[in-house]
Amino acid sequence: MATVAVYSDADRGALHVLHADEAYRLGPAPAAASYLRGDLILEVASRCGADAIHPGYGFLSENADFAEACQAVGVTFIGPPATAMRVLGSKTRARQAADSAEMPRVPGSVRGLADVAEAQRVAAAIGYPVMLKAAAGGGGKGMRAIAKPEELAGAFIAASSEAERSFGSGEVYLEKLIERPRHIEIQLMADEHGHCVYLGERECSVQRRHQKVIEEAPSAVVGEALRRRMGEAAVRLALSAGYVNAGTVEFLVDADENFYFLEMNTRLQVEHPVTELVTGLDLVHLQLRVAMGEPLPIRQEDVRLRGHAIECRIYAEDPDNNFFPSPGLITRLVQPGGPGIREDCAVFAGWTVPLDYDPMLSKLVAFAPTREMAIDRMLRALEEYVIGGIKTNIALFRRILTDTDFRAARIDTGYLERLLSFRASEVGETVPEEIVAVAAALFAASLKGEAGVVGSASEESRWAVTGFREGLRL
Amino acid sequence: MGRYGVSGGFAALTIWLEIAGKKRRVELSASLSVRMMECSVDGRMLAVDVRFLEPGVMSLVVDGRQFRCILDGDAVVINGRRYGFEVEDPRSLQGRRGVGGGAQGPRPVKAPMPGRVVRLLVEVGDEVVEGQGVVVIEAMKMQNELRASKAGRVAKVSVAVGDTVGSGDVLVVVE
Repeated sequence: MATVAVYSDADRGALHVLHADEAYRLGPAPAAASYLRGDLILEVASRCGADAIHPGYGFLSENADFAEACQAVGVTFIGPPATAMRVLGSKTRARQAADSAEMPRVPGSVRGLADVAEAQRVAAAIGYPVMLKAAAGGGGKGMRAIAKPEELAGAFIAASSEAERSFGSGEVYLEKLIERPRHIEIQLMADEHGHCVYLGERECSVQRRHQKVIEEAPSAVVGEALRRRMGEAAVRLALSAGYVNAGTVEFLVDADENFYFLEMNTRLQVEHPVTELVTGLDLVHLQLRVAMGEPLPIRQEDVRLRGHAIECRIYAEDPDNNFFPSPGLITRLVQPGGPGIREDCAVFAGWTVPLDYDPMLSKLVAFAPTREMAIDRMLRALEEYVIGGIKTNIALFRRILTDTDFRAARIDTGYLERLLSFRASEVGETVPEEIVAVAAALFAASLKGEAGVVGSASEESRWAVTGFREGLRL
Repeated sequence: MGRYGVSGGFAALTIWLEIAGKKRRVELSASLSVRMMECSVDGRMLAVDVRFLEPGVMSLVVDGRQFRCILDGDAVVINGRRYGFEVEDPRSLQGRRGVGGGAQGPRPVKAPMPGRVVRLLVEVGDEVVEGQGVVVIEAMKMQNELRASKAGRVAKVSVAVGDTVGSGDVLVVVE
């Protein structure tokens, strides 16, 4: 199958362009002028005679209007139909769909609260602790956790005015607070012929500011029975909405194995490799076959999970400077390998990571018969991995993967923030200080004219120093 | 300047470094015909087997332990860990301490990473207190407010809103 890449000016030399058979420019670096311009993308499609468009997992991948525009000009959108995207993409409509699919969701009000008195009635009915959330919300704004009835009135006013300031709407609603929830999601694949299978779960509880950092499959806390209950609920939701192609239903799971519908992602997800490794299926290949109208080549009973896979999202960001993005020139890249290691990488030595997009560089995935072995393989691969010239979050993963709680799978969505609130200490076997000093000194000596490198003054010695430097520059 | 008993009379190099806040004095007895090199770190002797593999990459074997070392700008990466280092010039050490440690003299606010200037919070002539935000830069949709590291008067603003800046560029000078 021949591939066509589209690119912005910042991505002319990007790896996705270099791997493609054909490539066409969309526009300037800002996404609004390039990757978000559906009209330009469809122009390219007609110019090169493309049959189908794979939208990836950013930009227009969950845009129902774009899916519709593709259909209108006879280009296959590799994803669900626009109608299913509209039902499942909106938070409130997805909740209604979840209710009619008899899917458990977090108990609470489904509409905005009129006043404090109504809030008190709802809270008493669902039981404390509760969470106030902005109806138009996102990013934690307008959110308040409330432990006791006497805190409710104050929190209601504070959350409502914060929501008003942030989103222009003071509408808030109440949800039962799920304490220390785990984020567990079900991968689905549906064809156009009414068949839908679930491909096991992924646990993505290691998050920072609602962004996933580590994902794994299977979850350490999901057994056969819970997997079937969650999987069947997710399939019911997808079928009720006429869903086709790959999708993911996200849940919160509490300590008593209750699961609650969170939302549905109507696209392939970043963390799909862990599912590919434990199921032995190529999800993108399946997406293409489904998009061509073929029936799914597998039935539910063919889906067998084997082993354990873990993914680390490698970002150009500086963990020592509040995770601020660190774009720039990659001067060196040493990529890990060996049994059970997969690296989905978007960069190379000599590539300048642009300022304009998400700073994800690669996804490093380890696969092994057990979770313990997968963690150890990942730690070994992280030691091999060198991305020179920019800051990355590689050291953060070493810290998480050697943490006692992570290794015992005692994780929830607040786990990483708690870990980060402790001072970082270097973990694992460290390099002796003298070795670091000798290595730094040898490199310094190899740099010509470096101040602070002092040789003795005799003629013979100067020759020796010159020879020494030549040797170092081999 | 120390010399080591290596046949052929190779001279020693002495290098002053600062690593993780510690000053280090490293002496290397350069002998390239024999790859075993005698080194001392703060007077402690080490026998180091060095192999240079490519520019900026070498392998050290010390007491049977192997370390792959990679030069990355102002840091050395060893077994996946990054150690920043700075080469000190002993001749200017006194002078530099004088500037760096005290509250006297101009102090630049530098960009810690590449980005775009989205806001300037001060103008030339403004009085600022230590820790006051002076400029906001943005990369990949995240904004970072950079602060003055000392109190004083803004002597210079080297950038304008919309400028693209590189890591280490001086944005504002406070004196």
